[in-house]
Amino acid sequence: MPLSLLVSQLLNGIAVGMLYAVAALGLSIIKGLLNIPNFAHGAFYAVGAYLLYAVVSATESFWLGLVVATVVAGGLGVLVEWFGVRRLYGGAYLFQLLLLFGVSLVVTELLIVLWGPEGKSLSPPDFLQGALIFSGIFYPKYLLFTTVAGAVIIVAVWLLIERTRYGAIIRAGIEKTEMVSALGINIEVLFTLAFAFGAGLAGLAGALAAPIVGITATMGIDMLAMAFVVLVIGGLGSLYGAVFAGLLVGITQSLVALYWPSASTILIYVAMVLILLWRPQGLLGER
Amino acid sequence: MRGGSPFSLWWAALLTGIVVLPFAIPPSMATEVVIYGIVAVAANLLIGYAGLYSFGQAAFFGVGGYMTANLLLHLDLPVLPALALGAVVSGLVAALVGFVCVRRTGIYFIMLTFAFNQMIFYIAYQWRDATGGEDGLSGVPRPDVLGVDIGAPIAYYAFAALVFVLCFWAMGRIVASPFGRIVVATRENPRRAASVGFDVTRAQTAIFAMSGAFTGLAGGLYAMLYGLMPIDAVNWINSGNIVFMVLIGGTGNLFGPAAGAVIFIILQDVLSVVWARWPLLFGAVVIAVVLYFQGGFVELFHRLGRWATARRKARAR
Repeated sequence: MPLSLLVSQLLNGIAVGMLYAVAALGLSIIKGLLNIPNFAHGAFYAVGAYLLYAVVSATESFWLGLVVATVVAGGLGVLVEWFGVRRLYGGAYLFQLLLLFGVSLVVTELLIVLWGPEGKSLSPPDFLQGALIFSGIFYPKYLLFTTVAGAVIIVAVWLLIERTRYGAIIRAGIEKTEMVSALGINIEVLFTLAFAFGAGLAGLAGALAAPIVGITATMGIDMLAMAFVVLVIGGLGSLYGAVFAGLLVGITQSLVALYWPSASTILIYVAMVLILLWRPQGLLGER
Repeated sequence: MRGGSPFSLWWAALLTGIVVLPFAIPPSMATEVVIYGIVAVAANLLIGYAGLYSFGQAAFFGVGGYMTANLLLHLDLPVLPALALGAVVSGLVAALVGFVCVRRTGIYFIMLTFAFNQMIFYIAYQWRDATGGEDGLSGVPRPDVLGVDIGAPIAYYAFAALVFVLCFWAMGRIVASPFGRIVVATRENPRRAASVGFDVTRAQTAIFAMSGAFTGLAGGLYAMLYGLMPIDAVNWINSGNIVFMVLIGGTGNLFGPAAGAVIFIILQDVLSVVWARWPLLFGAVVIAVVLYFQGGFVELFHRLGRWATARRKARAR
């Protein structure tokens, strides 16, 4: 196996890992504040991909597409939280799950109704086509873009959460929800915004993934399962464990695919099992 | 009502329902009802009794279904051993999955069951020799059972309904047994259960495995129903459907989820006639039920009752 191939695959894995990390970070924020596993996350991810496709087809503007994908997925998150999840807080835990399952079904089917059952493909914008080649290493420009974009998004989210007043409220909300509420913060608005924020990140990740993996209505399900795995590996109560574990999973998957393509996804689950048995709290988990 | 004596009103209602069902709806549909009845009741062992919210029951349905189908197809095994082996293998797979999943509680448990469902779906999708991949495994035979021909739809219904009753009785026994009490105790207060000396993880793994075995047995029955084990049966959407059946029927006893299976199968049938993209309609129904009828059908009957009383009063005035 030539080293250049290995490096190419590693770079590919980093890009894919960035997408897992961004999607899982959104899931992690929703989980942290609202204390629910967002089963509709995969649907928001697919919505992002289709919206990028639609906007690029109509206006040829990739940037506008990314913005629309993020904003509309986030807006969908507001609707789902406002009219659904919020009405089920307190005691009806399973109903929240079932609600999100229903939302996922409706959204996935709507995508098929609107864009047809066949998948769509989307090539990267002109300025990101082609590849960089250095000493035999093949690095598509779009993968480089995804990696950089992923890193920028993660840093931006980190700055927002760690360095701003809003972030302080979010962190406090994750730690002690009632206390934040008692201090006069409107916890309902905070929950809505957190859900929308997480959904927006899913939409953005889906849009970024579209030129790499292709667009299908069910594309979100594979991502959702991986994002769950990423959260479990990353660790309990750790927002950034998701980032670390996302990269780890992406890279491992890509490298294993070189040697044994059909096992690359299965192996991630095996790794997850081993990590759980070794460290039940996850890699960066505290408890 | 939990467990119940064999001659209780609930049992009378259940047995009457089983006899009436194939006359009310087509026999193949009635068979689907009893098959998913086993699945829903087995899921409620986890959701209602153990407090373990499994979102991955379809995986065990699939494992049992593919196992039984392969045994019938390639080894020409008789029906009963094929079904039993399917149940044993899916029970073992569930034991492994459960062993890992019960290490984490709450949200993480749910996410893990979902992730394992997806893993098994992925294996089924790729392992074409054993599962037929995307096309499903077709040509599953339906040989005689102990010399009795179950080829006719109504005969197969009778067989499946008999298996359902046996499974239902067995699950009732499990719930009523000392082990069942321990399982409920681990749900109510895991710490106290542990501190009085029960091995919580072991009890949870055991009930997870049992639930998986019953679900796998139902999977085997399903493979023989249409001679086909479709990949959709392992899909996570099927896991969501199963949770829906349990919740709409109610988690308080074993009879509720069986009623939930009836409602789901009929709903699915009606909606699929209305529109080819029926999952959209079904999703909307799920959302509506969750938002407006949280108490399931028990609640609906109460509401109808209140509404009827109010109307009677209004009329009297």
